[in-house]
Amino acid sequence: MDSRVSEKRVTPAASETETKQIDIRGQICPSSLLATLKEINDLQGELTRKALKLSILTDNRDATATIPAAAEKMGYSVSVTREGGHYAITIEK
Amino acid sequence: MNGQALWIVFAASLPLGLVAGFIMHRSDFCLAGAFRDLFLFRERHMLRVLMLAVVVSMVLFEAARQLRLLSPYPFPILASPSVANLVGGFLFGVGMVLAGGCVVGTLYKMGAGSALSGVAFIGLIAGSGIYAEIHPWWAGLARKGSFLEGRITLPQALDMEPTWLVVSLAIFSVYFFFRWARTGQWTRRAHASGYMQPWVAGIVLAILGLASYMMVGMPFGITTAYAKAAAYAEDLVVPAHVGASSYFQAVPLKYVVPLTGTYIEGGAAPAFDAIAAIQFPVIIGIIAGSGWSAFRLGEWRPRLDLPPRQYGMALAGGILLALASRMTPGCNVWHILGGLPILALQSLFFLCGLFPGTAAGSFILRRVLNG
Repeated sequence: MDSRVSEKRVTPAASETETKQIDIRGQICPSSLLATLKEINDLQGELTRKALKLSILTDNRDATATIPAAAEKMGYSVSVTREGGHYAITIEK
Repeated sequence: MNGQALWIVFAASLPLGLVAGFIMHRSDFCLAGAFRDLFLFRERHMLRVLMLAVVVSMVLFEAARQLRLLSPYPFPILASPSVANLVGGFLFGVGMVLAGGCVVGTLYKMGAGSALSGVAFIGLIAGSGIYAEIHPWWAGLARKGSFLEGRITLPQALDMEPTWLVVSLAIFSVYFFFRWARTGQWTRRAHASGYMQPWVAGIVLAILGLASYMMVGMPFGITTAYAKAAAYAEDLVVPAHVGASSYFQAVPLKYVVPLTGTYIEGGAAPAFDAIAAIQFPVIIGIIAGSGWSAFRLGEWRPRLDLPPRQYGMALAGGILLALASRMTPGCNVWHILGGLPILALQSLFFLCGLFPGTAAGSFILRRVLNG
């Protein structure tokens, strides 16, 4: 994906699962879904071992339907929360 | 020309644009995405919604025609088909994928605060200005490529009344609509706040299209207004050039507007005419309606720090969209929600070009985003 996709890894003290955050706010459609699918493929191992969660930040309203649908089809559990003016989509096994 | 009639037309078109912009933002009604996602993700949900909107429009338009509420029929600017419709449709498909939205999608996304759609919008105006320069050459080719002289719709070409064709197509479609309803394929599980189901938006857009047709004599069309915006901009710098341009000075729209019963005319020239009175309020309405929706939801947060190549792609896409809209002529909303429901031949050819164009655009998009 593009070098500007900002990535942040956070390891919360209370849990062993790392969260990788991908910020795609403002980007051209369908960057959100393309980026998410690529990350899921690249990090399949870590996600399956439950060592990692993905958190996608998007302001694309359509992506709140397409990303969960695609990830659920691949066997992941997905939750969407609204954060201010955008949405955070969390993907985990 | 009657100045008062123009302002009445303006005032009637504005609320249609406002409602369209509002519901397009709520449902994220992206027509470019409908075609693009078929090629990128094998996703057909929005194409089904579009088919619903076309069939509902087709039935509404035909019912209104029977009740003698549609005048003129077919609506103005449509002409006999040309190979130009096919070529324009193809380029339009490439352009809308690169721009991240079609000429209407760009408006509601820009209204909701998308910087990239703002750049695509500038590209649309620039591209319309570029088209004016190549118009004499292209218009000559389009004339040579035209056929079925005097026949505008499929029923006209087949020498038949539209009714039976419309009824058969509607029955055929309703069978699929029920099948999709039984398998729960109309509802989209979105988590966006204030979300409107796209199928509801599709039906509302069909009703707005009918309202537009009954009041101003044609369904939604906005692309000549982009050329007019380019003409206004050029007129500030090179007025003599605008005055000598065969495209800017042409007057393609001449008709009696149903709302006031007055004769009005218009084109791309930098003046307040029929095109300005019909199309500018729709453009302003869609931007404002969508902006208002996003603002009310607290989602109006423009972001500028985006990958430069996406800005480049949006600009190129906007320019290409404008060129394609003028070469066709018309945009996807004009053809899919306006021309297709009355089975206009130009619109059918446009659609035949649009599918392969979108496939090509999707291929380029994937390369640019991944490269």
